[in-house]
Amino acid sequence: MNEELGIILETTSKILSKHVNHKLRQNIDNENPDLTNLWTEVEQLGLPKIAVKDKFNGSGLPLSSTLPIIKLSNNIGTPIPLSETILSNYILSESEINPPNGIITYAIDAKDLKIIGNEISGDLISVPYLNLTDKIICITEIDNSKQVILVKSNTEEKELKKNFLSEPRYNLKLKKCKILDIKPLNLSINFKYLGAIVRSAQMIGAMEKILDLCIDYCSQRKQFGRALSKFQAIQHQISEMAVELAASSAALSTITNSEVFYKNNKDIAILKIRAGSAAGKIIAISHQVHGAIGFTQEYELAYFTRNLNSWRNDFGNESYWEDFLGKDFLEKNNQNLWEYLT
Amino acid sequence: MSKFNFPSIEETNDLSELRKDVRSFITNSLNDKEFEPAADAWVFSASPQFSKKLGSMGWLGMSFPKKYGGNQRTALERYVVTEELLASGAPVAAHWIADRQSGSQILRYGSEEQKKSIIPKITSGECFFAIGMSEPDSGSDLASVKTKATKIENGWNLEGRKIWSTGAHLSNYMIVLARTSPASEKNRHEGLSQFLVDLSLPNVSVKGIPDMTGQRHFNETLFDNVILSEDALLGVEGKGWSQVVGELALERSGPERFLSHFTLLESFINEFKNILIKSGSKLIGKLIAELQTLRRMSFSIASMLQNGESPETQAAFVKELGNKFEKMMVETLREFSNIIPLYEWPSQLQNLFEDATLRIPSNSLRGGTTEIMRGIIARQLGLR
Repeated sequence: MNEELGIILETTSKILSKHVNHKLRQNIDNENPDLTNLWTEVEQLGLPKIAVKDKFNGSGLPLSSTLPIIKLSNNIGTPIPLSETILSNYILSESEINPPNGIITYAIDAKDLKIIGNEISGDLISVPYLNLTDKIICITEIDNSKQVILVKSNTEEKELKKNFLSEPRYNLKLKKCKILDIKPLNLSINFKYLGAIVRSAQMIGAMEKILDLCIDYCSQRKQFGRALSKFQAIQHQISEMAVELAASSAALSTITNSEVFYKNNKDIAILKIRAGSAAGKIIAISHQVHGAIGFTQEYELAYFTRNLNSWRNDFGNESYWEDFLGKDFLEKNNQNLWEYLT
Repeated sequence: MSKFNFPSIEETNDLSELRKDVRSFITNSLNDKEFEPAADAWVFSASPQFSKKLGSMGWLGMSFPKKYGGNQRTALERYVVTEELLASGAPVAAHWIADRQSGSQILRYGSEEQKKSIIPKITSGECFFAIGMSEPDSGSDLASVKTKATKIENGWNLEGRKIWSTGAHLSNYMIVLARTSPASEKNRHEGLSQFLVDLSLPNVSVKGIPDMTGQRHFNETLFDNVILSEDALLGVEGKGWSQVVGELALERSGPERFLSHFTLLESFINEFKNILIKSGSKLIGKLIAELQTLRRMSFSIASMLQNGESPETQAAFVKELGNKFEKMMVETLREFSNIIPLYEWPSQLQNLFEDATLRIPSNSLRGGTTEIMRGIIARQLGLR
């Protein structure tokens, strides 16, 4: 890790830890002044535009370098759309649109988008944090070329989607919404792949926190006259979590350490598969060792496990990427598996 | 969790070149019918001639110093060579333990005389080793070993039994963990020492134990008052436990923990590729993702070893995950027999599959059980 990134991480950690507590997370759906203060400091630090080009007043860091920051933010359980804004701003900047200040979110999917003049109509599906912003980017194909569109939503048409995510997420019907900007999408990598990488980094941050919660809880909670952590059955379950987490982190470090990660779809697929399947096991085990307290809103475990449930399905679940990876190999004739792997 | 990081290590061009060299060597050996690819070859498939040939290529004792006849190459280079050998199912069992762990133990703890006399022979593929840890009454509880070495004039008297020693019947030496003084009440790990035992000495007898597949690879070795010279003591008297823990990191972290049955997977895919394209891409994708992750982790450990670190816990991660992967792989192939019945598979593939099915329960026993791996990890997490 380079020195600059180390300093950013340290400062980020201080600011986020100062603001974030479980109460803040519980008020996530509401208009929340504490959230505004937190966002202001995050913005002062330059995080939202960290991967934006210099000419648009960004820090110009490669996107792979932002992954440790995104991971950290979700390790602390920060209830703001930092990853969404970093990614949206990156896409805008790459496509030569000057990203506006403030929070920007994206639509994970879109349906029946129609553009007439300067207005757009259609369905935006699964839009995170629409309660905190009205600026959304969506990607659509017009005349065989992908376009990135920056939209200002008219708030009446949004529908809060109750899902297993702790964070707010919306479906949105756009009716003649104003297009703020539109440009041909200029990415060396598919939006879905980018999303898969970012969600994996978020999952790994959350899973690290979950492991810590389990270790702390089991070391303190006593039953049958001793700490839960002294029971071998508990030790083994928590060890399994650690193994799953370590494997996911190894898959992430392959992407983080490569400035040309976008050239390698294989590694992206592996990361999303590994993090997604680890999430499944870690959700189950962490709740098992916590008992009933983990199943409450008051205790923070569920904030993290609910997010995992959602993120592992965003931008392709394990099955999607397994199929992708399997086909990627099988359709390469003349290459046996060992050649493909090495 | 920062202590369980597996930093990503890129394979350099030099390593890729080495990979190519090993691969073409293997292709030639296969063309000359020098070996038949086997499942679990690092345990079951021994060929002293093949080992010697590898030695002449400079691919054994790769990281050992030139001073002792080694090749002074990196742990990463050794990793690449072992991976290629495992992936092809080559007969590497004869030299496996000597090359993987015993040589390094001797280099670290042995006398100058031992280094000079033994290391060159390991490197040339002419000296083989067995592991002397488990005993009839000491399995996972290794610290409970009863084999005893008593100090006598000019040496040691060794008395006891070792069991499950793979390849002892083909080996020249065994590194024996024995008690040299009683365990202290507080710490059972005290009073253990390692000995370098020449298996051709009088009063050593090696008896084979057929495994459940009917094959002979492991043994029970009896030491009936074997007289050892003074310098048979390896390392420091009483420090055997910490020495053995370091040895286990070498034993657990390598690619044999997930490539033991790779030949089966490769032959399976080559045979059924057309069917897999239509209905099996998800299954294959899942296996690829896990295998590639394991390769990265194990390669990362090789780099830690190269840097002189002691990745004992990381090794437990790889072993635990690798064992699970191999079980899942065999199970995945078994389920495929629903589409193409097993009796319609080519006979060589059937054999590999049946071998793997029978042998797979041993993968999470040898080198330390699943329970032990999880215990090691739990300790590092601060739970024990």
